[in-house]
Amino acid sequence: MSNALSGIEALRKSAPGRDALSAWTPRLVIAPGAIASLVYVFGFTLWTLYISMSNSTMLPTYRFIGLKPYFDLWSNHRWQIAYGNLFYFSAFYVVLTLAVGLALAIAIDQRVRGEAIWRTIFLYPLAISFVVTGTVWSWLYSPDAGIEYFVRGLGWHDFTFRLTTNRNTAIYAIIATGIWQASGFAMALFLAGLRSVDPDLVKAAQIDGASPARIYRKVILPLIAPIFVAVAVVLLQFAIKTFDLVVALTQGGPGIATTFPANYVYDLMFQRGEMAVGAAAAIMMLLALAVVLAPYALWTGWRSRQAAARG
Amino acid sequence: MLTIKAALAGTLAGALAATAALAEPKTNMLHQWSEGSDAAAIAKLGEMFTAAGGTWEQTSIAGHTANTLAKLRADVVAGNAPPAVQLKGPEIAEWNETGMTANLDDLANKEGWDKVVAPELLPVMKPTGHWVAAPMNIHRINWIWGSTKAMEQAGIKELPKTWAEFNADCDKAIAVHLICLAHFSQDWTDATTFEVVVYGQSIDLFRKAFVEGDVAAMRSPEMVKAFEQMRLMVSKDMDPGIAGRDYNTATSMIAKGQAVFMIMGDWQIGIFTAAGLKEGADYECAQAPTDWGKPGFILNSDSVVFFKQKDPDYIAGQTLLAHLIMSPKFQTVFNQAKGSIPARLDVDLSNGFNPCQQLSQKTLEASIADGTLVRSMAHNMTVLQKYRGAMLDTITSFVNNPKMTPEEAANAMADAVEAQK
Amino acid sequence: MVDATYDIALDPLARSASLRYAAGRIAIYSFLGFFALIYLLPLFVVVANSFRELPEITRNGLIALPHSFSLKAWPQAWAHYCVAGTCEGIKRNFYNSLIMTIPATIASTLLGAINGYVLSKWRFPGSETLFVCILLGVFMPGQVALLPWAYILGNLRLSDSVYGLILVHVIQGISFTTLFCRNYYVNIPDDLIKAARIDGAGFWRIFAKIILPLSPPILIVTVIWQFTGIWNEFLFGLVFTGGTQQPITAALVALATSQMNAHPYDVASSAVLIGAIPPLLIYLFGGKYFVRGLTQGAIK
Repeated sequence: MSNALSGIEALRKSAPGRDALSAWTPRLVIAPGAIASLVYVFGFTLWTLYISMSNSTMLPTYRFIGLKPYFDLWSNHRWQIAYGNLFYFSAFYVVLTLAVGLALAIAIDQRVRGEAIWRTIFLYPLAISFVVTGTVWSWLYSPDAGIEYFVRGLGWHDFTFRLTTNRNTAIYAIIATGIWQASGFAMALFLAGLRSVDPDLVKAAQIDGASPARIYRKVILPLIAPIFVAVAVVLLQFAIKTFDLVVALTQGGPGIATTFPANYVYDLMFQRGEMAVGAAAAIMMLLALAVVLAPYALWTGWRSRQAAARG
Repeated sequence: MLTIKAALAGTLAGALAATAALAEPKTNMLHQWSEGSDAAAIAKLGEMFTAAGGTWEQTSIAGHTANTLAKLRADVVAGNAPPAVQLKGPEIAEWNETGMTANLDDLANKEGWDKVVAPELLPVMKPTGHWVAAPMNIHRINWIWGSTKAMEQAGIKELPKTWAEFNADCDKAIAVHLICLAHFSQDWTDATTFEVVVYGQSIDLFRKAFVEGDVAAMRSPEMVKAFEQMRLMVSKDMDPGIAGRDYNTATSMIAKGQAVFMIMGDWQIGIFTAAGLKEGADYECAQAPTDWGKPGFILNSDSVVFFKQKDPDYIAGQTLLAHLIMSPKFQTVFNQAKGSIPARLDVDLSNGFNPCQQLSQKTLEASIADGTLVRSMAHNMTVLQKYRGAMLDTITSFVNNPKMTPEEAANAMADAVEAQK
Repeated sequence: MVDATYDIALDPLARSASLRYAAGRIAIYSFLGFFALIYLLPLFVVVANSFRELPEITRNGLIALPHSFSLKAWPQAWAHYCVAGTCEGIKRNFYNSLIMTIPATIASTLLGAINGYVLSKWRFPGSETLFVCILLGVFMPGQVALLPWAYILGNLRLSDSVYGLILVHVIQGISFTTLFCRNYYVNIPDDLIKAARIDGAGFWRIFAKIILPLSPPILIVTVIWQFTGIWNEFLFGLVFTGGTQQPITAALVALATSQMNAHPYDVASSAVLIGAIPPLLIYLFGGKYFVRGLTQGAIK
């Protein structure tokens, strides 16, 4: 390591002009994309933050009025429902998607026949847009034409399946549809993770007489723990952005029961002409995200320090 | 009729002569009629525009109205306001206040719009006394539709005239295990039904609460009474499957005779027609119940607003488009497809219009004479979107939450509107 | 996990083990079969309805074994149905989506590869922080970005054009592609790079000769991810295009979520399938590499 480094140092000294150029090349190369990204992330966020403290209604205006839009926002019943929904949905969606994905991955990992077919069946929903997913499932959930209608037609006359018609259960329809859409993604990653576990470790545990369940719990799952975190973060960004799915599946209903923050932001900024309050709601969404992401950032930092310490 | 046509032909020639010398008229109309018969109806406007020598382009925005408004706002922020946009109700006044809308007074005066357009539309189309929008149609909201088959089965001879009759008819329907009211719950459909109830009980309450946005009227005992009627209808007359149902299914409940009545605006005619149902044989139409025994009319109107342009081609296109929209020919073709009636009161409906549409035009004139005409809150013709949104949130919550009492609903609506002031 | 290849037929212990094995197999296949049914149900409904006749759908409900067979809906959806303002079906929207998605996918993937290369192999002071900042873009909700983008596109004279939309998708895509590529390249041994530098290879030469040949697994992942995401996006597609340039999702939203019209389930179903074919094909053929590449890259 140090030899190679001193070799490079030697090269640098021998050709100062070229090296100065090559030291700057990477930074020049990354600059356009990086600047665009930074404008996108910080520029847009700061703009939204400013709008959220302005008197904007129909169109963006720039007179500063302080935190009033935030007070208006939090006094709104629909927003409180939306914010609550976000946390409720995210928790169930992320945990259950991980669980279903893991169960499918473990089942497929048992040397089943036709693995590629199973994998494709569970993965294809990922290719379908949320609009289509939501629309088709809304047909299926509908008591007039969907699953309930079908089962009753088979002769089971008091069968009921009506998640979307009740304001207390409609959110589960959204959760279930979300899981349908994303669990194949979790399955794929877990499966690849299971395959990457060193077979010798498993053999050693088998020789020790551990049951398969115990081997999964004590040996394999801890080894693929990083995958859990990575998948959870990807799912979380889907959860926060949940928008089209709700529009197509429940239109935020019954009533206002399944309104989500992204729908609320869109509604206020574009339909109701309350741009400042809509922007304030957007800032609250980003804040919710920060609350969840901060521990992840700390964890990644800790892990890379650990890795550095080991290396 | 002939003289009007001749006069119009004259103005058309004049308008074209005035503009053709300067520019090639072209336009790009932003609208939300993106599918099926709506798209076909607007395509007719495009054909007329092209036939009159213009270059027609359109941007149709699918889905919720918010998508169209998002597109409009994005275009304005980009410094690229569209030459023509489908906008309605108080939004016309709001965009007019930004100073970006074009003034149509010259054309309107030349063609005498003030004399032919329904008077209730004038304050909407001329928010500050100047024409900034061209109305395409008039929809009537307060209709009740009856399934001929189901009415016969329940022994109901004619559509109910008062809410008491409506409730009595529903008891008959429920007694023979029919659903009394076909409904699908979304914010705008819940609000449509509710505003019909409020209007039917008291025009005064409707005007105070839904047109003026008076918070005290929303808290009043009359409003509680309207919510009580609504609760009765939701809990008894509608079935438990209203949430998550789509429009088609609700219509098919009438078609199959599973449900007796439906309360919905006159675009329902277009939907019945598309489903192959005939007025008289499959369905009947009448004024939704009122307790004050006069002809009544809740009005909704689609209109087009023009944003100021620099390009003379687009300016010429705006004049031509506005002229075409206001022409009796377009108003006839467009509204025959949509189920509504022309925004001009001087168009003869005896040919090619459905009997319900003919009734609609007669009632419109009668309700103007009787002073019972109102604009629709549910369809965004009265208060600003933020107040309307607050009202819709409350109404749809009430429909879907059996635990919410009428008193709570009335107060919640008042609170929600107050919070927006 | 149980290895049943050895077979001592007469041993009662072995027989009970093989019974247990059979029971386990049945449990596994029933579990997978049950989930497969749920997963395939929507696809079945859409495929079946695209071949059924509309009156039959209205009569028997959406989930039903087909009692009628018709190919009418497909050409109707492709070329004749009135949608997005004209009566020419969804074919133009389909081409528009291809014209938008392919360049945007390629550009964002290349930018991501280069960014990932710099951030993993040519680190400089602050490069880790820069990586985290770029990463935050993954979480931006589209509704927040709508108006700022409109302003920027307006000033670049790119509003209402497919080029503007491509720009938006490229920049929003950089976050994901950089994440994937950077995390993949981190696992390429630094010694390879160092050796090449000692041999006198420069920045671009190392990229072309060492990094790119090792990249296909992760490039497949980013291409699949970007293609699917851009193809399926609808809000920006609606707002940043005009007239005849709208993408397929605009037509699908019109067809699938229409509120005010008698609903043509047969045409809507065929349109939905046509609109889903490109991403589906990509998953069908690339799915294996997608899984492999993701585990090597994104999740480390």
